[in-house]
Amino acid sequence: MLIGASERDFITKGVESGIRADGRGPLDFRQFFLETGMITQASGSCRATIDFGTDVLAGVKVQVGDIEGRVDSDEAQADGAMVEDAGAGDDAETGAQSRGNVGRVVCTVECSPAAKSVLDAREVDDMCNEYSQILTRTLNGPHGGLDLQKLCIIPGSTCWVVNVDVLILDYGGNVLDTIFMAVRGALHNTRLPKATVEQTDGHFEFDISDDETEILAGRESVPVAMTLSKIGTSRIVDSTPLEALCSAAQVTVFVNRAGNVCGLQKSGKGSLEPSILIDMIETGVKLGTELAEKLDAVLDREERDRLSHIEPTGFR
Amino acid sequence: MLEISLPPRAQARRAGTAADGDDDDDVDMGGAGDRQLVTPGETITTDPAFMRGHGTFTHEQALVASVAGVVERVNKLVSVRPLKSRYNGEIGDVVVGRITELGPKRWKVDIKGRQDAVLLLSSINLPGGVQRRKSESDELQMRSFFAEGDLVSAEVQSFFQDGGASLQTRNIKYGKLRNGSLVMVHSAQIKRSKSHFIVLSCGVDVVLGVNGYVWVSKHVPITPEMESDPEGLYSNQNEPMTESERETIARVCNVIAALGRQNCEIHESAIVYAYDASLDYAVKELLKVPVQEAIVSQASALLRQAATQ
Repeated sequence: MLIGASERDFITKGVESGIRADGRGPLDFRQFFLETGMITQASGSCRATIDFGTDVLAGVKVQVGDIEGRVDSDEAQADGAMVEDAGAGDDAETGAQSRGNVGRVVCTVECSPAAKSVLDAREVDDMCNEYSQILTRTLNGPHGGLDLQKLCIIPGSTCWVVNVDVLILDYGGNVLDTIFMAVRGALHNTRLPKATVEQTDGHFEFDISDDETEILAGRESVPVAMTLSKIGTSRIVDSTPLEALCSAAQVTVFVNRAGNVCGLQKSGKGSLEPSILIDMIETGVKLGTELAEKLDAVLDREERDRLSHIEPTGFR
Repeated sequence: MLEISLPPRAQARRAGTAADGDDDDDVDMGGAGDRQLVTPGETITTDPAFMRGHGTFTHEQALVASVAGVVERVNKLVSVRPLKSRYNGEIGDVVVGRITELGPKRWKVDIKGRQDAVLLLSSINLPGGVQRRKSESDELQMRSFFAEGDLVSAEVQSFFQDGGASLQTRNIKYGKLRNGSLVMVHSAQIKRSKSHFIVLSCGVDVVLGVNGYVWVSKHVPITPEMESDPEGLYSNQNEPMTESERETIARVCNVIAALGRQNCEIHESAIVYAYDASLDYAVKELLKVPVQEAIVSQASALLRQAATQ
């Protein structure tokens, strides 16, 4: 995508004076739309849209898998170490124990050709890889919200693998925040088949129920993303594609409903002064908590509608 | 202002007020009077007497639509005019485009057509007198006239063999666009008319590109001196702007975007009526769909009223 020098100047000065090109203030959002459960084949699904902008579809599919082998357990060890650093109060023994009995989340982000036409092909690949990694890291991390230990079926051998597949259907700026909204919605919507484990003379056997399901433990503490873009000397939320081109640096704050910072990501080539960085994080936490609350309200209503058998409209 | 809600269609459906053609069977797809709407793959006729035109193909002796649109018949020739298509230029069209590439003595300009248009170095006004020969130094400093990403308004001058458009900016009203922002609508919404350069009474200039790009900017009067001013013609400097001017530009942008999203034709009086209707709302409220619907319906009522008088 291209932008002219005078357009860049107009947008930058507009942001600095507090009036963006579409009349919004620096901390105003476009309208978000969200619906869950439209993919019947998936364990959980959600579509999040910004009005006439970004359109993201997330699907969750759970499958039974092996607990990761030796090589990967190093990573799990690193995660375990981080939990201890974070003062979770685990002693070394439980940390070692937990390594063999956690499930995992595998995330991929893909971009549909319709959205690709707006962006450069190479940019799209980089963007998808980056977002897949951010998602995987955040959800598997110590502050990812989901209770990974509850995903374990047989300690040391079998667990649930939660596959999160995200498809970017349209690009209109602020993609990462929309992806996290969609993923959070899809995880909230996910139903895990109930697995019962029986132990007969040292042997573990498990049975997966056909009709009994359970929700994902810890789904309510999955973080949301709140990206703030620095333009000129000011910062904005929910940037449009043209604003994204004018932005020197972005800070994404991952916040859960309790208002705890679960992660921080800086992207873009520009630099950030300490003062604006602190301001961006504080604003991000405040708005992120608000977003998580409002998202929960919508998701709770979706849950109620689901229980009263109101079918999602989806793409119809 | 942070709102998350169900998509409008889902809202209507769950509220049980699905009015906007919720199911296919309450939409009469064919035979609505003389206008026949078709979707891709739909059989238009099985009569072998008809000839296949644009937007159609033959499949097992039947004439089938390849695009969604309106069936048009000229004698025996049947074609489908698409509801939505890329911009098809005509000579004399005023277009707004974005420079994408620099080539030998030419710029490539994205005008939302099937291929990029070409703006030749010989088709622009060079600084320092209109009637001047192009020199080699002009060729070397092409990027100082138009660089990649710059927006220009231009006129379609001619077409090449392959259908690509050749543009020209040899008039003071064409050229580099400054002091404002771009709104994109469908090219079908902007009809060719006498005036594509509109000066609104609120101090905003609008350039209606027939290709669906609309430029909204602060009003800067054209003076004869500007024509000979080499710096001014291709400068990237915006004029200083007050907050209220910025807000007015944003309002006009949002009004045009609202007209675009409500599938209205966009011309001077539509913009003026919709702008007047929008004054009851704050600028950022114009991003909300119900507000857009309200101002557009008010504007179209006024337009109909004006048409009957």
